[in-house]
Amino acid sequence: MIFYIGPVALGLLLGFILGTRIKPVPESKLKFDKEVYLIMIIAAIIVAYFLQPFPYYQDIPLASGFLAGMAGIIIGKLALGR
Amino acid sequence: MSTILKLFVFPISIIIILVGLNTILGGHITPGGGFQGGAMIAGGLILCIIVYGLKESPFKLSHNFMASLESAGALGYVILGLAGLAFSGFYLYNLGVDLYHIVPPFIQNLFDYPDPVHAGIIPYLNFMVGIKVLVGLSVVVIAFLESDKILGEDEQ
Repeated sequence: MIFYIGPVALGLLLGFILGTRIKPVPESKLKFDKEVYLIMIIAAIIVAYFLQPFPYYQDIPLASGFLAGMAGIIIGKLALGR
Repeated sequence: MSTILKLFVFPISIIIILVGLNTILGGHITPGGGFQGGAMIAGGLILCIIVYGLKESPFKLSHNFMASLESAGALGYVILGLAGLAFSGFYLYNLGVDLYHIVPPFIQNLFDYPDPVHAGIIPYLNFMVGIKVLVGLSVVVIAFLESDKILGEDEQ
């Protein structure tokens, strides 16, 4: 299996940048805990499956940049978004 | 806004942002690119800001962050253009593809985009434009929402 690092790296980078901006809001009554993120990950995998890889990509049957972006958001949130 | 809307908008905005990211990453082989993807990401951020309000939005988009991101996008674009000028003599020359065979192989490998198409600097330019556009469009909405505060400061 060929692994294309380009879309994964750029997706992770932009996802990380946006993930660092997701901060907890003490004023709000709504709390987005880890269960919400778990549901978002499942939804992201389903959407990535239906998006399929780009026209010339044959690495995995999922949109790899899309999933990398989701991973980047989670990593950014855990690293700097607290 | 209603509680049901507040429950659903944050996860949906994340999905919208990721679809925008996907559009940016496919800009060199599919319709769309930096501007369209950046506008979609800004759409996700704006949806969050409108539903939750600026104070309660899960995305905290500070002035410094937005200014830094927009500057980084513009600077990255210019640096890629100047790299072409430095190594080939043409501004924004696609160093990763090197159609005229005037660039050393290690420079070509350095600017190559690792995917089956090998589009050179085009995906990186799309990325930079996407960053600039997402900041530009989000800032317009944030400025409108903060207009009361700005007008109040002016009156004082």
